[in-house]
Amino acid sequence: MSEPAVTVKRPASLKKTILRLLLYFVVLDVCVITLYPYFAMLCTALKGRGEIFATQGTILPITALWSNFVDIWSLAPMAKYMLNSFLIAGGSTLIAMLCGIPAAYALARMKFKGQTAFLAFVIVSQMFAPVVLLIGIYQVMLALHLTDSIWGLIFINAAFNQAFTVWLLRGTFMGISAEMEQAATIDGCTRVQSMMRVLLPVAAPGIVTTLIFIFINAWNEYTVALCLIKTDTLKPLTVGINIFNGYNIIEWQYLFAASIFAIIPVVILFMCIEKNLVSGLASGGVKG
Amino acid sequence: MNKNAPAVSAERNAPKKKQAPKKSPRLPSPGRKRFFWFIEPYIWIAPSVILMAVFIVMPILKVFQLSMSKVTRTGQLKGLNNFENFKNVIKDPAFSLVLKNTIVWTIAVVVISTILGFMLALVLNNKFRGRKIARAIVVFPWATTLVIQASAWNFIINKDYGTLNTLLIKLGIIKQAMNWTPTPSIYFAWEIACGIFVTIPFVTFCVLSGLQSIDASYYEAATVDGAGYFQKLFKITLPLVKSSLTVSTVLNIIYVFNSFPIIWTMTKGDPANYTDTLVTYLYKLAFYNGRQGEAAAVSVIGFIILLICASSYMFYTLRKGDDDL
Repeated sequence: MSEPAVTVKRPASLKKTILRLLLYFVVLDVCVITLYPYFAMLCTALKGRGEIFATQGTILPITALWSNFVDIWSLAPMAKYMLNSFLIAGGSTLIAMLCGIPAAYALARMKFKGQTAFLAFVIVSQMFAPVVLLIGIYQVMLALHLTDSIWGLIFINAAFNQAFTVWLLRGTFMGISAEMEQAATIDGCTRVQSMMRVLLPVAAPGIVTTLIFIFINAWNEYTVALCLIKTDTLKPLTVGINIFNGYNIIEWQYLFAASIFAIIPVVILFMCIEKNLVSGLASGGVKG
Repeated sequence: MNKNAPAVSAERNAPKKKQAPKKSPRLPSPGRKRFFWFIEPYIWIAPSVILMAVFIVMPILKVFQLSMSKVTRTGQLKGLNNFENFKNVIKDPAFSLVLKNTIVWTIAVVVISTILGFMLALVLNNKFRGRKIARAIVVFPWATTLVIQASAWNFIINKDYGTLNTLLIKLGIIKQAMNWTPTPSIYFAWEIACGIFVTIPFVTFCVLSGLQSIDASYYEAATVDGAGYFQKLFKITLPLVKSSLTVSTVLNIIYVFNSFPIIWTMTKGDPANYTDTLVTYLYKLAFYNGRQGEAAAVSVIGFIILLICASSYMFYTLRKGDDDL
């Protein structure tokens, strides 16, 4: 830069340092506050009953009872809850993708009557959360004999994530030029082949983001599972862990130890897509 | 059945539309091939349409049917009852309290989390050491299931053994344990705080996606022209992230309005509906009191309120589409 700019820069650098420090201060505060509930959970999960209810409480456990993390597996059907959560989240992700990919492909690559109506329905369906429809869902599930069944939860989660899936994938597909697929068609590929071999590999990052997002949503779902599942061994983690949240006494140490097991897979998955999430939201939600 | 309706009408309409829908390198042959082109898109969307028809549209219709009907405690329908369910719901003195709670809950959570989330996005959009870690940490509350988050908060603020008291005593801020939840409305305020805490990450990431698409040259030009920080914020940043903010706000209104686990885990709407919102209220009506008809009526009232929000979202999206043309 020219001479004057350099001389102006010197006093500004002190201001810059202060701003920088302020920035770090704010970021650090935000991180500490955000992590505090997890820190409290971890500390409590390592305490014994007496220590938790002691009048002179401590922040850190005096003696770390790692056995709490082992005990929960025998005190409750934790392994079963975990398996159910994986089945429900995996199953709904699979079904949501199998239904969502063709629909998003049709919306991105074809023109047909009712396209706008379908898109409008997809948007409006986001308005209906499962919880307001719970009575209706319950009645429909009764008719289909899907109450108290993992299949019921798989279908409900897949359906309620459908809007998001179609919307996000449509955005991803529309961002990819159709030329390659047309070339593949000229070479004799059918539409399905050109989609599978040309479009889907290119769209893989967007698809993975969507996939993980549905998985997390289904893993974290609570309300429908609470309402539909009555058999203890069919419950997912979110509902199952409340076994430690009894009528008379709450076993906080076990509740939080179990909670940590429920959180870990999701947080890892979320961190994987954190970078794509920003662009995903832009293409799926904002650009529409 | 309604799931077939679009496909059937399209087949009927197909012959009227003469031109082929897609340019294809293959020679268009008349007859069956052309017919296939017309129905092909419907085959592609069929699985999605069927899935949503059975598990979303059918429950919606069922809820409307229940809200209009006399329902026995075992769930059998006994014919229409002339909006009796709606009248009963509105007559219930608890309902106005619940409605007020729902509005306070929705507005407080959405407004405060939007402001804080926007500010956090501005902070995280700076380049600094450890930005990646900070962003990953900020995502935590979004990734955690609400039941667990709410349980943790419930434990933290507990007056007898909560860690908030322990922490504040150790830091020397308070002398002895305080009761953080002396009244139902203060408990409700804690629930709102928890709601804000879990909603902020979504706003932050929506705004970040908007911020990242802003061309840095705008700011450079503004700096050359001598614009200050706040001028740049209000004249460049805000107008350019407006669409991200609108989307996040509308979606948040819907999510927060329908949010069930936080209140259910922390207070179950007790005592005496003081912390109930529409969704916890209708859950209790339907599954605790066996008054499914009235619960369905509450659902319908909820739809109507949300429909106003969703239609404003639709209006916005469609108008934005016109601008692009």
